[in-house]
Amino acid sequence: MSAARRPRLNSVRLGPVGQDTVVLVHGMVTDNLTSYYFTVAPALAAAGHDVVMYDQRGHGRSERPATGYRLEDFTDDLAALLDRTDTTGPVHLVGNSFGGTVAFDYALRHPDRVASLLVVESEPPTAAWAAKVSTLLADSANTLRDEQALPRIERTNGRHEARLARQACPLLHGTTIAEDIAASRIPAEERWRALDLPVLAVYGDTSDLAGTAPWLESLLPDCRTHHVAGHGHYVLVNAPRTIGALMLDWVRAGHRQRAEAIRA
Amino acid sequence: MTTTPTSDATTPLPGAGENAVLAEVTEALHAVLPEIGLEGTAITMDTRFVEDLDLESIDLVTLTGELGHRYGDRVDFPAFFASLELSEIIGLSVGQVVRHIAGCQG
Repeated sequence: MSAARRPRLNSVRLGPVGQDTVVLVHGMVTDNLTSYYFTVAPALAAAGHDVVMYDQRGHGRSERPATGYRLEDFTDDLAALLDRTDTTGPVHLVGNSFGGTVAFDYALRHPDRVASLLVVESEPPTAAWAAKVSTLLADSANTLRDEQALPRIERTNGRHEARLARQACPLLHGTTIAEDIAASRIPAEERWRALDLPVLAVYGDTSDLAGTAPWLESLLPDCRTHHVAGHGHYVLVNAPRTIGALMLDWVRAGHRQRAEAIRA
Repeated sequence: MTTTPTSDATTPLPGAGENAVLAEVTEALHAVLPEIGLEGTAITMDTRFVEDLDLESIDLVTLTGELGHRYGDRVDFPAFFASLELSEIIGLSVGQVVRHIAGCQG
C-alpha cells in the first residue's frame, strides 16, 4: 500500500441505496463516468439497483496527481471508494476496457467483496497487457505533441474526436501514466485459475480483443463470453441498449447460472 | 410527466416559466463551473453546452447534480439523458434542458 495521499475522486450514485449494488468502472484517458451515466446507468437504477460510478484518478472531475498511475493505484482507489460506500453485501463489478482490468485486479484481491464481474472489451492484467498499454499511451502522447495533430484528427475523425484528444493531453503529457502502467504489479497466472467468481466478458465482434475470448474462458473457472455483432472496442457507448440489457440480465439472475451449465 | 426535447436550431422565445428556469440553469452553471470563464458570456436558449461553452460531458453530469439539488425529484435528469443519443448530448442546448425542466414542473 502506498503511503501517498489518495486523490479526491468524483463519484455519482443513482437508484435506491442498499442491496444489489452495481459499481461501474470506466476506461482510460478519453473516458470517464459519463460512459455509464449517459448510457446504461439510468436503466440499472430504474430497475432497482444501487448504481455507483466514479471518475478514476486523472480522469473526469477527479484529481489528477502528477504520479501514481500503476494499476494497483487504480485498484486501491476502487477499494477505498467501496470502503466508504454503504453497501450491504458483495457488489456486482462492471468494467469497460481498462476499467475491466481494474475490476479484474480488484476481484482477485477482494473476492469476498464481489458478487460477480461483467467486463466489456477488457483483459485481465498480464505482463503483455502492461507493455501494450504503456506503449499505446507513450505513442499517443508523442503524436499529440505535434501541433498539427489536433487539426489532423479534426479533419479525419471530426470535432468531437479532436475535442477528446485535446482533453486527454493533461493526463498524457502532465503525468507519468505511461511509465507507471508499465511498472504495474501483475498477478501470477495461477491466481486467475483460482478466481471462483462468475465472470461475463462482452466483446464487440470486430474488435482486436474479440479473439481473446477462448483464452479467457480457459483461464477463469467460471467465465462465459458474449460477442455483440457489428461493433468494435467502443461497443458500450455505441450499443448502449444491447449492453444495458446484458447487464440487467446478468446482475438480476444470469450470474448465478454457472458457465458449465450454460455450455452443457 | 416529461417533454420530448426538440433539437431544431430555431428556438422560440422562452415563456415566463422558461425564463425563470433559464435564470436558474444559468445560476447553476456559474455555481458549479466557475473555472470555465462564463463571466461575461451570455447564456441563451440557443447556447450549446459543448460547442459554445466548451464544457466536457462530465461537466454536464456536475451541472445536473446541481440542478437536482435545486429541483429535487420533480426532474429526472438521468432519464432525460438516457433518452438522448451520444451525438444529441454533444449538441445539447441550454434550451433543451430548460424546456425539459419546465415541462416536468408543468
